[in-house]
Amino acid sequence: MCCSSSIERDKAMMGEPEAFDISAVKGMKFFDPHVHMTSRTTDDYQAMADAGVVALIEPAFWLGQPRTGLDSFRDYYSSLIGWERFRSSQFGIKHYCTIGLNSREANNESLAEQVMEILPLFIYKEGVVGVGEIGFDDQTAAEEKYYRLQLELAKEAGLPVQVHTPHRDKKKGTQRSMDIALEHGLDPYSVIIDHNNEETVKEVLDRGFWAAFTIYPFTKMGNERMVEIVKQYGSERIMVNSAADWGISDPLAVPKTAALMKMRGLSDQDIQLVTYNNAIKAFAQSGQLDESDFNAQIDLTEKFEGNTILRGGQQPRPDKSSIIIS
Amino acid sequence: MRNEHMKAVNEIIGAVVKNNISVAAEKWLEEFSQAQDQATLLARAFVMLPRKTGKLPVAISEEQQAVLDAAGFGYISSWTIDRLTRVWLLAGLDPGDKELLFSSVNPLFLSAEVNEAVALYSALPFLPHPEIWTKRCAEGIRSNIGSVLEAIMENNPYPAANLDEAAWNQLVLKAFFTEKNIKLIVGLDQRANLLLALTLVDYAQERWAAGREVHPQLWRLVGRFINPEIFETLKTGLQHYNQMEQRAIALAISQSDYQPAKDYINTFPELKLALADGSLNWNSF
Repeated sequence: MCCSSSIERDKAMMGEPEAFDISAVKGMKFFDPHVHMTSRTTDDYQAMADAGVVALIEPAFWLGQPRTGLDSFRDYYSSLIGWERFRSSQFGIKHYCTIGLNSREANNESLAEQVMEILPLFIYKEGVVGVGEIGFDDQTAAEEKYYRLQLELAKEAGLPVQVHTPHRDKKKGTQRSMDIALEHGLDPYSVIIDHNNEETVKEVLDRGFWAAFTIYPFTKMGNERMVEIVKQYGSERIMVNSAADWGISDPLAVPKTAALMKMRGLSDQDIQLVTYNNAIKAFAQSGQLDESDFNAQIDLTEKFEGNTILRGGQQPRPDKSSIIIS
Repeated sequence: MRNEHMKAVNEIIGAVVKNNISVAAEKWLEEFSQAQDQATLLARAFVMLPRKTGKLPVAISEEQQAVLDAAGFGYISSWTIDRLTRVWLLAGLDPGDKELLFSSVNPLFLSAEVNEAVALYSALPFLPHPEIWTKRCAEGIRSNIGSVLEAIMENNPYPAANLDEAAWNQLVLKAFFTEKNIKLIVGLDQRANLLLALTLVDYAQERWAAGREVHPQLWRLVGRFINPEIFETLKTGLQHYNQMEQRAIALAISQSDYQPAKDYINTFPELKLALADGSLNWNSF
């Protein structure tokens, strides 16, 4: 999520591109515990399904610009548990979400107060597997206030917490996020600290939290660095996600990272843990996530409030190589 | 004092605006400025303004440029006429009723498209009652849109003069993250502080850990605050293979009072030489 990093220079640092060979991980199943599908296309859903992604979690976040009223929040939360869940199901991908007030918009205090009032209406809904993504951005007093209030909410609801750590001043922001969670009496085993890097991972694991890593081009982790982290720290309580959104990002980050891990000699068991099992274990603590629900039959005739993404007569999988769109 | 000064600046800007717009547009602006209920008319006028003024880059006479340079606003010569006219329009609003001013300008931010947002943040140093816009400015720093951030961060005297330390530090840090032109941040050296220096040092370590380069201007904000802990990081940087970063760190150290770091620099003949001949300064980076 960024606007103007020196993409050309970073590209140059990446060296010769290597093709993504899906056959390296053929037959493996993946779980992407952080991906903003409302910002993605049906092509992305199809590609994810083809690459083995069977389930995902969509955390509530900001939309790239601030919302100015409560109804925008309400409609957004409703879409995560409604239309988006349905859209995902049409590709055979089980869609879960976490609900929360993101850190940036916590700074609009008068609106944040109103959002806090409607959050309880959403966090108890079926398929809501946590409170998230919440935490710090600028690390202001308002962000801290609403982070604390939402930790209490999560504790009361018995839900895991998905913690966004800041891009800027990351190390201190991550430490502070953990300190506050412990201060509120949360079990670190129910808290997923997201967007880790080489500088934060050790302390997060040492203190008993889950460490999530976002594989996101240019601004967050690259997957070669991720391979090294698993080599160094092992696969316990570590998980990988794409955080794909409206920025230049990659919804195939999880299967691609698995393929790279395979090529670089990590064991199948380690790969499966960091790209599938660990995230499931962490978020299943909500009681709202069950692996046996993943492979539900795709019902292409199912409709959501009378709508379907399959318009009349359209084939489920259009031929993308054809110039004719029929 | 400030009021008199800004009044003079607004007059010059008004003259520049008139030189750059059509007679019809001038008449339209004149009508607005004489309207009784400006507060209610503002939103529409502000939004439709480019239809009246066009969007060409402004032309400024040498004389006007010299006066604006002297007043610290020479940078407006790089603006387009719609941006300049919007700023001038806002600067001319009745300063008498603070509440009314806020309630008529604030909604413009909420529905602004990009060019409007750029003009609004550019107008902050020209608005009366600067203290009522500090939260709005801090909010603007949270934007993800490059040109909006540039309007706040580059050539804008408002943030340094009005933001509290936390918001200021956020501005500087985000400027590094989004690769803005650090040299154009007004008040950069004057508002350097220990907390910012520590945060920037952490950031540098994180960049190195990820195998990335560190912007040399970062060290400019660290020099005055070197302590034993920061010194350890600087040593890492000096041993790191990147001549530009090394030189920037050396320059920062040369401007500090921290003797152990100064002694350490002397163990690098190339850096010692570069400092001694006086060729290094912050414009070198």
